[in-house]
Amino acid sequence: MFSCKEEGEYHSITDKIEAEQKPYHGKLTSEELLADTQLIKITEGEHIFLIPERKGQIKSFACIECHSKPLAQMRGLDGKKAHWDIKLNHANSETMNCATCHNPDDMNNLKTLTGQNVDLNLSYKVCAQCHSSQFEDWKGGAHGKKVAGWTPPRASMTCVNCHNPHSPSFETRWPVQFNTQKAIERKDDLDH
Amino acid sequence: MSDNKKWYTLDLGLNKKEETSGSCGCGKSQGSCNSHKEEEKEEEISHEEFYEAAINASIGEERSKDGFEQVFDVKMDRRTAFKKLTASLLIGAGAISSCTSVVNADSKEKAQIDWEEQFKGNYKLMIDEEKQGTVDRLMRSYELRTGKNISMTSENAEEDVLFGYAFNISKCQGYMNCVSACVEENNQDRNSEMQYIRIHEMKDGEGFKFDKADDNYYHEVPKEDHFYMGTQCFHCDNPPCVEVCPVQATWKEDDGLVVIDYDWCVGCRYCMAACPYDGRRFNWSKPEVPENEINKNQHYLGNRMRKKGVMEKCTFCVQRTRKGKNPACVEACPTGARIFGNLLDPNSTIRWVLENKKVFRLKEDLGTDPKFWYFMD
Repeated sequence: MFSCKEEGEYHSITDKIEAEQKPYHGKLTSEELLADTQLIKITEGEHIFLIPERKGQIKSFACIECHSKPLAQMRGLDGKKAHWDIKLNHANSETMNCATCHNPDDMNNLKTLTGQNVDLNLSYKVCAQCHSSQFEDWKGGAHGKKVAGWTPPRASMTCVNCHNPHSPSFETRWPVQFNTQKAIERKDDLDH
Repeated sequence: MSDNKKWYTLDLGLNKKEETSGSCGCGKSQGSCNSHKEEEKEEEISHEEFYEAAINASIGEERSKDGFEQVFDVKMDRRTAFKKLTASLLIGAGAISSCTSVVNADSKEKAQIDWEEQFKGNYKLMIDEEKQGTVDRLMRSYELRTGKNISMTSENAEEDVLFGYAFNISKCQGYMNCVSACVEENNQDRNSEMQYIRIHEMKDGEGFKFDKADDNYYHEVPKEDHFYMGTQCFHCDNPPCVEVCPVQATWKEDDGLVVIDYDWCVGCRYCMAACPYDGRRFNWSKPEVPENEINKNQHYLGNRMRKKGVMEKCTFCVQRTRKGKNPACVEACPTGARIFGNLLDPNSTIRWVLENKKVFRLKEDLGTDPKFWYFMD
């Protein structure tokens, strides 16, 4: 008789996973790898994990150090334009402008579509309003990257660690690698 | 050194020399120096004897015997045979220079290491002390040869860990950061430009046609109407490469990694032929990496330097993952297309992917049971 596997304890890898699964509390941990990163713990539904702290990474935070007056009063004033380099390339102007995410009345915070404040550290909450399927995948771990290793505790990059919120899509660019040997083999028809 | 080794231990008198150094300052051969005990004499080869045997083993007999006689007309006991063999090994290794009879300590140590490495067992069968032993020898050997230090480890599989991988084909943009990170991490041969990972550029709407896909594109990516799919070793749970290996130089570890003992591999390439995923690579020439580019954090089963004529492949970066890190490709991917983790941990992100996304594997009907899944957004 044939058997699918030699040491045939399980018929397939899924059977094995089901039979032997248990939450990992082994000696390997990501604590050390994460030691240099400022992290905050978030709870979203059944998912509890760490994301990088953001406000400490923004050089010009806190915003109110310049935005001492409401935006409406500052607009049109002469003087240096601090954010001249930011071009919004996110949806179209009918859908979004600066004030869709930034709270013009409280510049230190972001805001939801209904005008509630969102801490800059939790900016994913703003993104999640529209990008709900990405949000689901991110919470589960199918979208985005881990901060360090595969071991617990889980620390995941948040939206703005990979996407520039003002221009979120990835740009086309040249690949970092080209295999000249393979090219030669192909040219000489040595490749299989 | 323990006595229960699985190979014969060559005694060149190194250990004794360390013990007696200082007490004997004559600097001459031990035979003519009377400060040594009588019983040691029996155990050791003096420099003269050693040199004599070396000359004899290399050219001595050629003067009186032809090739056939040299090989078959041998009347000597086991000890003499080993002495002669060692001497010729040393000559082969260039350890003896013709102008001097002084065999320095480094050469002796090198020879000792080479000997023990030559006759060590299969890594798969080694106990932990033996694994540590070979790793220590390889590190010392590297130091003796290059004057530089490497760090090599031999961590075993962790309990309750089974490694798995998921690849998001809607996220990959074909940037190939994973490929270069892999080459750098795993010390792959720069001359032949060996790469474990292939990124296949496939046309939308035509399905997975690997023969029509291009895995060596060079233009701006992502290309319009194309998607990208990465392949590497899938660490099958039922690996055909392991089955066909005639010398058991490749096997599946308890954490699911399919690994190779580069020192046990005979280079027959059966595994390469058996792999349905083109996951294995062969060293047609001696792999070369510039000294300053060598990744010195190594694992015996992972990225340590290979030699000509052996197989190698992706190990899910065993030198990283058994320390809790992600493989280099996962870390380097700028799009988050690569998910890695512990399949046995129900709280891991890889498990969430398998349970909540529509996943598939390549050539599932072959029954190889790869631990590498593909999914889409």
